[in-house]
Amino acid sequence: LSYLFYSFFKSLVGKDVVVELKNDLSICGTLHSVDQYLNIKLTDISVTDPEKYPHMLSVKNCFIRGSVVRYVQLPADEVDTQLLQDAARKEALQQKQ
Amino acid sequence: MFRYQSLDEDCTLEEEEEEGLVEEEDEIDQFNDDTFGAGAIADDDWQEEHKRLSGLEEQKNSARGGAGTVGGASGDAGHLPSTSSLPLPQHSSQPPPGLGEQGGGDLADALARLILGADPAIARACGPAGPGDRSRGLPAPPSVPQQHHPQAHPHQLPLAGLPPGPPHPSLLSYQQHQHLLRRGGPPMQQVNSHNIWESNMGFGPVSVTPGLVTHMEDNPLLSIIKEVGLPSRPPPMMSEDGRDLSERVPPPRSSSPVIGSPPVRAVPIGTPPKQPMSHAMNHHHQQQVHHPTAVHIRAPVHHRYPPPFPERLSPNTLLNIANSPLCRPPFSAGVGPVLSQLQRAQMLNSQVAGFPRGCQGPPMLPGGGGFRPFFGQPPPHRMGPHPGGPPPNHNHVACPVIRHNTTHLHPQHRRILTQRMQSRGGDRGGRVGDRRSRDPYSNLMTQREKDWVAKIQMMQLQSTDPYLDDYYYQNYFEKMEKKQERDRDSIRKEHTTKLITPQVAKLEHTYRPVQFAGSLGKLTVSSVNNPRKMIDAVVTSRTDDEEKREKQVWNKRRQILYTVEKMYSLLLEVQDFEKRFLLTPEEQREALLEQHKTQTLQLYGSLKEKEWDDRVSDEQCLMIMSVRKGKRLISRLLPFLPQPHAAAVVMGIARNLPTLAKKDRQDQVLCWLVEPVAAVVSSLSSSALTDLLQELQGSDGQLSRVLQNKFGVTLLYLILSEGERMQSSDPNCQLMDDNRWTELVFSVTRELLNVAPSSLAPPLFTPPNLLSLFSRYVDRQRLEQLQEKLQISALSR
Repeated sequence: LSYLFYSFFKSLVGKDVVVELKNDLSICGTLHSVDQYLNIKLTDISVTDPEKYPHMLSVKNCFIRGSVVRYVQLPADEVDTQLLQDAARKEALQQKQ
Repeated sequence: MFRYQSLDEDCTLEEEEEEGLVEEEDEIDQFNDDTFGAGAIADDDWQEEHKRLSGLEEQKNSARGGAGTVGGASGDAGHLPSTSSLPLPQHSSQPPPGLGEQGGGDLADALARLILGADPAIARACGPAGPGDRSRGLPAPPSVPQQHHPQAHPHQLPLAGLPPGPPHPSLLSYQQHQHLLRRGGPPMQQVNSHNIWESNMGFGPVSVTPGLVTHMEDNPLLSIIKEVGLPSRPPPMMSEDGRDLSERVPPPRSSSPVIGSPPVRAVPIGTPPKQPMSHAMNHHHQQQVHHPTAVHIRAPVHHRYPPPFPERLSPNTLLNIANSPLCRPPFSAGVGPVLSQLQRAQMLNSQVAGFPRGCQGPPMLPGGGGFRPFFGQPPPHRMGPHPGGPPPNHNHVACPVIRHNTTHLHPQHRRILTQRMQSRGGDRGGRVGDRRSRDPYSNLMTQREKDWVAKIQMMQLQSTDPYLDDYYYQNYFEKMEKKQERDRDSIRKEHTTKLITPQVAKLEHTYRPVQFAGSLGKLTVSSVNNPRKMIDAVVTSRTDDEEKREKQVWNKRRQILYTVEKMYSLLLEVQDFEKRFLLTPEEQREALLEQHKTQTLQLYGSLKEKEWDDRVSDEQCLMIMSVRKGKRLISRLLPFLPQPHAAAVVMGIARNLPTLAKKDRQDQVLCWLVEPVAAVVSSLSSSALTDLLQELQGSDGQLSRVLQNKFGVTLLYLILSEGERMQSSDPNCQLMDDNRWTELVFSVTRELLNVAPSSLAPPLFTPPNLLSLFSRYVDRQRLEQLQEKLQISALSR
């Protein structure tokens, strides 16, 4: 029951991210919501790479299942790495107990 | 199957009924050929068809205007022996879908018209809207050009609440209408599909719906057949009807064939909550609930989620707004199911995505009367006049912030989001209208359903300790709040942090094996809470000694990191002490305090010299500080240490500064230490300060090396500044008691003057009172020199 990244992504709601999927599709959009499975909803999306995915042209919002995400590119200044490290430490402590 | 039977009976009875009807209605005759004869097969000009029918409708309306009440409707049903005979005997289970099936149904059509005319409710309802509003979903303000179908009106009737009798005729008419409509061109088809759904949803009685569904299933079949161009060989169920059927035109393919399994009749486990029903229509409702899902299988996924923009309206919502006053059903009983559809349409667009918990979107519409079914594809020609009208309304109603439901977010987060949304609102304005007009796949779930799903998800997130589980999120926004408070402490922000993750009392889940009464022994049922042991994995925890030995085998760095991590866990505990302290009850506070002290000591203990309490182990200190993490650790640790310990640490740092500086060349993060060290320095006593300065100078050449490092210079300045502050503020300060301080300052100034400007590292900041300090000790000339140098240093920052 790890909520670490759920908690982390929650703090990024409203920010712009780029989600790269396992099928090599990269989607840029505003993080609208996330859940404990790290499913992601993006709004106002655009396909970042050259639009070789024309079927996405009309799509404004999308829901991405967490298991298909390869990377999520984040704005660096929105992330507090220290805090993330602390959260990870706490999580490790919890696991041990 | 009952359906067959009904079909049978329909057919036979229809023949008879036809005569009767013909007698009563002259107009039927004149349409017979076109409607039921040769004209039935040919592809008519649907527009003319419409006109004719609307003409008929008007006549009927006038003829039957005064029929009366619901009872009247029932009575009317009675008038039509075929229809009544159909449903009444098999009442609860005999929908007469077959009637509609019989292409353009001679009788069906006639019946439809009769009913429409006869039923006062319908007449009333359709009156203002005009006879032509067949496409239900369209906003039909009276201004809408009257479209010619009388069939629209039964749609409006929430006949669900009625006794089975009345629905059937209306249902009939639906079928007929569907057929008629389908005979037209594509636009009609679209409306057809829309009709299918309407009729599905509009009727309460269980009996109606299954038949409808199966009927629909037939239709696609037939329509496919027709399209393919086969001779209209009727599907098996219709073969019994004989010649009439062969003449009937199979309805054209509906725009949304029901793909997949027929809707489930039984309520599966875990059904979403039922729509708010007025009364006994629950079971009917479930049927209806399921129908749309069955039908809408092909809806693209992304449409199923409520758009985050509330100002975007689905056609349904538009219609609801426009139509609700018009189509108020006279039968309150039927309001239930209709309302649910309405609510769906309403609530959807005010729904906030994410985890809506009890959506607080503005209720767009009152639970008005009209029945607004789900749209397949809004027929373009019909949508023409509409986008213009309602959208302006919605401009007023819905310019709110996109996220209505931000209750589950941290207030800080919410604030940020609203700001962001507002700033983006301008960009969106232009595009909104575009979105608004096209969203045929919204309204798939009611608010309650959405809440239900959200509740399930949120249940999994309940935790006994939200602070722990949601650590990052909570702390991140706390920090942000503090930062904002620091930056602009004008507005008093709300300090109460809402519980983002609901905290639930920890329940002990002890496994009690399942046992059947009277049986011997217990079953072992493996469940989530009691998983079966799959492998014999044993957790071995090694002692500290073993760990130390092992670590020594690995390279030193890992050991250092390991030490640092251990210290970190202690540090985090110490950090959280305050919070926990507030949470623990009175009795346990003492114990907690003790624990805190111990931990703090432990922390220091890992740093200090084995024997001496007031001196930090150089070796240890160096080791830890050689890693970036360690430096960070120290910087975070310092504020928590009591004064003497903290001073000892700073001493240690000063003592070893050159080495530290050397090791830091790669990371360059020594400056993390500036802040906490500054805090410590300002709390030092004068003697301690002097000691510190001495340490800093240390051995020969140390100072010069110190000066080469940014942190070193900064530290030096800090010390000097503090000394100056002491001197200037407190005339009795002991700084000047012995000459040490003066000596030290002299040597510093000497060094400063001698050192080459290039090797003088710029400090992080220059305290303002340095000059006054130096003025005490050096003559004017040197002072000026120093000033120049320091300024240079300051400028070259």
